Amino acid sequence: MNGSLINVGVAQVKMGKEPAILRTILGSCVGICIYDRMKKIGGLAHILLPNDTSKGTIPEKFADTAIPFLVQLLLKEGAKKEFMSAKIAGGASMFKFEANIALGQIGDRNVEEVKKALQKLQIPILEEDTGGNAGRVIDFFLEDGRLKVKASGKEKIYYKV
Amino acid sequence: MHAHIKQRIESTINNIAALPTMPEVATKILNMVNDPEVSFKAVAEELSKDQSMTTNILKLCNSAYFSKGKEITSIERAIVTLGIKEVTNIVMVIAAKPILDKFVIGYDLGKGELWKQGLIVGTLAKKIALMKSRKDIADVVFTGGIIHNVGKTVIAIFVQNTYNDILEEVKKSNITFNEAEKTIMGYSHQEISEKILEKWNFPPVLKAIVRYYAEPEKTPDEFKTEVSIVHIANTISIMAGIGIGSDGLYHQLSKIAIDNLKLTGAELEELYTKIPEMTRQIMEIQ
Repeated sequence: MNGSLINVGVAQVKMGKEPAILRTILGSCVGICIYDRMKKIGGLAHILLPNDTSKGTIPEKFADTAIPFLVQLLLKEGAKKEFMSAKIAGGASMFKFEANIALGQIGDRNVEEVKKALQKLQIPILEEDTGGNAGRVIDFFLEDGRLKVKASGKEKIYYKV
Repeated sequence: MHAHIKQRIESTINNIAALPTMPEVATKILNMVNDPEVSFKAVAEELSKDQSMTTNILKLCNSAYFSKGKEITSIERAIVTLGIKEVTNIVMVIAAKPILDKFVIGYDLGKGELWKQGLIVGTLAKKIALMKSRKDIADVVFTGGIIHNVGKTVIAIFVQNTYNDILEEVKKSNITFNEAEKTIMGYSHQEISEKILEKWNFPPVLKAIVRYYAEPEKTPDEFKTEVSIVHIANTISIMAGIGIGSDGLYHQLSKIAIDNLKLTGAELEELYTKIPEMTRQIMEIQ
């Protein structure tokens, strides 16, 4: 592995440029990886919940605020909207829970809101590795925008940018 | 079931030397504070016998996580300012760290992840106890939360060998990962945790927490509140991806535990929402 590894914690948004690698570990949270293929810079938002309940004080925590926040950061670094694309991963659910426990559905709700927020900004989602019951360790390589997803002991790599 | 794996696990748990060791002072203090008659002098004396424990206690007492503002420079002051129970929590953090702060193969946990999860689950568990006006059990669920996964450190090597079979069993029989551990290896990590706590001479409530945290419906009635709290704390932690390994979310969120604690949906979400703040809080004692 080359490039420096940047760990992104729960409810954090981090960005970097090639050859850095952004890594995060996901359960029901969703990791949103946005990449500018021309500038070779990108960022990862690790969101915990779908909708902002902090009145804008912690934008990193929620899908509807973290995604615009990340896009703004990238634009400030010189990225262009038209070259940006997204890959998303995470949003798993507990294997067993009773249907009336709302927290059990948080993974699905997160994925749904992430898609809405990206659509609003007109950033296309090229790859999606979401749902199910597995935890995911994701590595976002800023040299070429590829995303490695490790789940249940197996690795998959998504190359589209 | 892999009979030879079961045998190897049996010989491991029957060999006391193969199980993690808890410093004697920690067990002593834990059992002392359970005695309502205990004098703080006796506790202070016991702790002062262990120089490195004393140094570590003073360091943690003055960390933002435990500090009450005033600088603490002696064990006596620590007990007076923070209380015997909080000092016991500090002792448990110090004693458990070397046991849990390592990478865990099989479950695919990087170095420090099991430890971080212990601290988050302990912190969450304490928060739930306080939320439900059960300050009286806040310290025991904190300790239980920290060590609830200790059995994983011992059984991990066997999970490494049987992981694919366990996962297949989960899907085939529609059972949780822990239940499948038992089906495939003959033991679940919770049973190993219980063995470890027996070796340590830990009190029954902590043994119940490590044994039943994943299946609170099986808990003996007298400990159902404590066990339910750690169940919820653990579930929320893995949902947020803290301490989540190759076993993923192949677990349950038990309605029985939620009902035992009378937790509302809003309270559950509130706890989950606070995870990022908690991960910052524990950084200093990690």
